[in-house]
Amino acid sequence: MNKVFGNKKAIAIFVLPAFLLYLIFALIPIFYNGYISFFQTDLMSPGRFVGFDNYKNLMKDKTFIKALTNNMFMVIGSLIAHLPIALFFGNILFQKIKGSHFFQTVFFLPSVICGVAVGLMWTFIYNSEFGLLNKFLEIIGFSNLQQAWLSNKKIALFCIVVVVMWQFVGYHMVIQIAAMKNIPDSLYEAARIDGAGNFEQFKSITFPLIKHILKIDAVLIITGSLKYYDLIAVMTGGGPNHSTELMSTYMFYQGFRTLKYGYSAAIGMILLFLCILAVFISNKLFRSEPIEY
Amino acid sequence: MKRNVLERVITILKYIVLVLFSITCLYPLIWLFLGSFKTNDELYTNPWGLPKTLEFKNYIVAIVDGNIGNYFLNSVIITMIAVFVGVLLSCMVSYAISRMYWKRSNIMLQIFLLGMMSPVYATIVPLFSMFNKMGILNSYLAVIIPHVAFSFPMAIFILTGFLSTIPRDIEEAAVMDGCSIYRIFFSIIMPITKSSVVTVAVIVFINIWNDLLMPQIFLTDQSKMTLPVGLTEFQGQYSTDYASMIAAVVITIIPSIIVYIILHKNIMEGMVAGAVKG
Repeated sequence: MNKVFGNKKAIAIFVLPAFLLYLIFALIPIFYNGYISFFQTDLMSPGRFVGFDNYKNLMKDKTFIKALTNNMFMVIGSLIAHLPIALFFGNILFQKIKGSHFFQTVFFLPSVICGVAVGLMWTFIYNSEFGLLNKFLEIIGFSNLQQAWLSNKKIALFCIVVVVMWQFVGYHMVIQIAAMKNIPDSLYEAARIDGAGNFEQFKSITFPLIKHILKIDAVLIITGSLKYYDLIAVMTGGGPNHSTELMSTYMFYQGFRTLKYGYSAAIGMILLFLCILAVFISNKLFRSEPIEY
Repeated sequence: MKRNVLERVITILKYIVLVLFSITCLYPLIWLFLGSFKTNDELYTNPWGLPKTLEFKNYIVAIVDGNIGNYFLNSVIITMIAVFVGVLLSCMVSYAISRMYWKRSNIMLQIFLLGMMSPVYATIVPLFSMFNKMGILNSYLAVIIPHVAFSFPMAIFILTGFLSTIPRDIEEAAVMDGCSIYRIFFSIIMPITKSSVVTVAVIVFINIWNDLLMPQIFLTDQSKMTLPVGLTEFQGQYSTDYASMIAAVVITIIPSIIVYIILHKNIMEGMVAGAVKG
């Protein structure tokens, strides 16, 4: 038996193709990226070693700082939409309500649609001439609020955060419902016998018992918000005047528009660092054991 | 009695909230679909209602003049190859990791799972440089390779989880009968795991079909671009022909929606399973 399942040649045939691809095109590039970030290079000629200059310049670069703040704004907006609001819907749908499965399927739908298509769809909705939002404001009598939403520097980013909220509420809700389903029914029965209402049941049973999943979900939301790219690229391209720039779009702009690859690689390293930091902090802060029933 | 009335009211309120949010999710898509059959003028004068006449001109403009047909074909080729190779290789690794006996299997799994937290942005510049030196920039391969490599962490995570729940008896019986390890894998294990393989495949499909970044960077030739990049090109060229742009968007999202309608159970389970790792 061990001969068959311990066959070295078979293991190599099963593992090596994927491992080599993964090593060469996913792991090594990360280190190579760190290396490039110490150079000023156009990738064609050898380039000039500049040490930490790219990182130092980033800290002085107003647009980068703006992008970083915008990313933080995205993180906060997503946390609000994808924890309390998703949890609110999740809790309603979890309570064996009729059509629960249908509603879950509908709410989840936007998260499988291509970000570019979602972005374009919302540019149509925000469109100043025929957009649904302006037409809707007209109908309910708030014509004075009508405007070109995405070209207004003050609210463009907020408009985009709304789209992110809309697109992924259902996704996080389904994750949370999956966690709720693991809670044994007997706990709720006992609570009902003791006369606990819906809100008390949520507060004392559901919430504490899905806390560990919520923490994982929070990490997902944070790292996810650091990675948004498509929506901004399509809806505003980082404009007007860099007011909606994110680290990802700025990285693309620096690398593939102005050809400062070293600088761009440095932004990539900072993004990587922030993602690892988010995972690391949450592991430290919330060291909680999964609950066994 | 009073409590009953209160409960009823609460239930009705719940349904109102749920229906309202369902409308928010679905109406924009329906509006898009209806809009794709309207003329540009009608978009302004009649934004809410049904189109007065079915105008297929938008689709013709999108497909013929806007090259959307060509982008669609590129997307299909790239996605199909990447999904097939990615899923097949993930199945093989997952099998070796969870069912075969070797010392470093767990370390191997951890190495693959590391990829779940690293953003692709940290690899884009070096990949661009590597592909440039290899001379494969601007070919399908330049997009397929990174997509395959980045599909591994999530796919292997889901598949190893599922494989470890299969009882060993079947494989042991097969070995007694003189089955080779390759036959065990292809004729016994693959059929048993069919449903999780489908789950993984649809999730990888959705990720690749929807991706903008990699094709945008690694493909410069318009004739090779995929749908998401094509849409941004289209947006630049036909910035005033909204009706045709809407038709192009509809063509892009239809495959995802059809796949979702058929396989929504797999997709929801899989995306949740792939997520709850951290």
